[in-house]
Amino acid sequence: MRTFPYQTPVIMNYDAGDYEASLEAAMASADWNGFAARKAEAARRGMKRGIGMSCYIEACGIAPSAAVGSLGAGVGLWESAEVRVNAVGTIEVMTGSHSHGQGHETTFAQLVADRFGIPIDNVNIVHGDTDKVQMGMGTYGSRSGAVGMSAVVKALDKVEAKAKKIAAHLMEADESDIIIENGELKVAGTDKTLPWFQVALAAYTAHNLPAGMEPGLKEGAFYDPSNFTFPAGCYICEVEVDPETGVTDIIQFVAADDFGNIINPMIVEGQVHGGIAQGIGQALLENVHYDPQNGQLITASYMDYAMPRADDLPSFKLSHQNTPCPSNPLGIKGCGEAGAIGSPPALMNAITDAIGNNNLTMPATPQRSGLRSTQPTEEETICMRPITIAHPRFRMP
Amino acid sequence: MYATNYHRASSVQDAVKLKSGADDGKYLSGGMTLIATMKQRLAALSDLVDLRHIPDLTGISVTGKSVRIGAATTHYDVASSAELKAVCPAICNLAHHIGDPHVRHMGTIGGSVANNDPAADYPAALLALDAVVVTNAREIKAGDFFTGLSETALEEGEMIVAVMFDAPARAAYAKFRNPASRYAMTGVFVVRRDNGDVRVAVTGAGADGVFRHSGMEAALAANWSPDALAGIAVDPSDLLSDIHANAEYRANLVKVMAKRAVAAA
Repeated sequence: MRTFPYQTPVIMNYDAGDYEASLEAAMASADWNGFAARKAEAARRGMKRGIGMSCYIEACGIAPSAAVGSLGAGVGLWESAEVRVNAVGTIEVMTGSHSHGQGHETTFAQLVADRFGIPIDNVNIVHGDTDKVQMGMGTYGSRSGAVGMSAVVKALDKVEAKAKKIAAHLMEADESDIIIENGELKVAGTDKTLPWFQVALAAYTAHNLPAGMEPGLKEGAFYDPSNFTFPAGCYICEVEVDPETGVTDIIQFVAADDFGNIINPMIVEGQVHGGIAQGIGQALLENVHYDPQNGQLITASYMDYAMPRADDLPSFKLSHQNTPCPSNPLGIKGCGEAGAIGSPPALMNAITDAIGNNNLTMPATPQRSGLRSTQPTEEETICMRPITIAHPRFRMP
Repeated sequence: MYATNYHRASSVQDAVKLKSGADDGKYLSGGMTLIATMKQRLAALSDLVDLRHIPDLTGISVTGKSVRIGAATTHYDVASSAELKAVCPAICNLAHHIGDPHVRHMGTIGGSVANNDPAADYPAALLALDAVVVTNAREIKAGDFFTGLSETALEEGEMIVAVMFDAPARAAYAKFRNPASRYAMTGVFVVRRDNGDVRVAVTGAGADGVFRHSGMEAALAANWSPDALAGIAVDPSDLLSDIHANAEYRANLVKVMAKRAVAAA
């Protein structure tokens, strides 16, 4: 796939991407071609080295309401935003995209501060309070940037249009000549300027507004995406498996992602780091166990449930290949889930490459990756059966 | 946690007296298991008798090869004792890898030994070092002290005051951590003495708690090298099987950890 849009046979229409760019960046970063020498060196130390790759294309930024409606969804998957400019020029943004660690308070504020050239401290992001935020569909499906911020952009467009009308009226200029730069509204080509806060104040004093204009500077918007977004990337993992114990040591982990345009690289990297850690947890460690006899949850605390910890993880090598998304105003594709999508298959491919056995169940615990037993044990097989079989009343027909 | 009465004992005699006067009392040392269990309301004790402030119970003394570690000595103090490191670095290394820094600064050798958790590290060391557990009433050989999973030879009201052993010529501990709890999924402590005696003690793996492996001891007595264990079979039938590792896998770990301990000793 090198030309876009690319209509897949299964509904999805890929709008933009450069899959080779991510593939090549990942292979270069991982020194893919030098692997054979590293494997030979590891073998001299008695270690089994393996390399694995996974390439993904996600459907994110969910989702066009009509599309999900046709699939039976009970809701529309738009997002809403409201931008309130206060009389002193500070700005509150109500968003339906809840922030529980994704850093919307930073990223969304950056968007607003950059747009009007005002200090980021003057922007307050309000989320998660149903007394304040009218409507929202939430944070999931890598949609906060692609859908939630697009709604903010639409509201900002309306705020900007009204602010320009007020500024043009006050500076006796044509509305189309007003530009916003460094916290000021200017008449292009002249030295006439008005600070942002004065325009905001004028909107609320309403002493001198264009004829017929409502006072105030507050706008809301709903954004319903016209297409899914399609983040893509290539992940490469290199491991060494200790043949004596079956322990997997992750030597390097490379992620090359195309998230479209990026607002805040550090936050995006944090999202990818967290996603990779979760993916490694899934592939290597995490497992829920129930007692097959009575249905009691055995992994009820972190003494038994193996969460990935810092010492289970290598430092990740990240890069971004950005092809802007054409379907939303910011060109964002989204980054929330990529790390957790790309990492388990890359890691499992690396382990199976190392041990030469494709029949390996997640999590690839040392016992399973050890050469002696890669099949689930009888005990584990019992654990995987539905627990309802323990009671005849619930026995499946 | 249910309400409990806290007592700070000033001496061994005071501690014994305080506990004997309680309805359902327990000695408290670092509390690394006991307090957590009480917080989960899995234990409800009328009285706790804190031993950590009894002066005689803390400290390490080394006389020649003879080592005495007070029961209320923390893992951190064992790990960082220069005197001890000079004669038996293996036990310092073991203590350095118990739990995390918080646990090592709170948990004590006496508490760990008295609790005899099947995955605790110290029981393997004491058994391999042929240590003596000194109580307020008597001296108990490690081989007689650990009697089963979380079971010891301690009588009701009896308390540990010290652990004593003679430092060996060679010793090392190799631990394979449980991926979740980081306790020993299998830990092997090996000891070789000047007279050629060898002890191999295994924790975390035995269905009945810490145990010695006579087959490996004989093989290593004949040839003190990792290769000597190549032909040894570890019987999985007496080993623990749980969600993290079955008995067969643990049997393999016993052998691998023993080899690594011998290589490090």
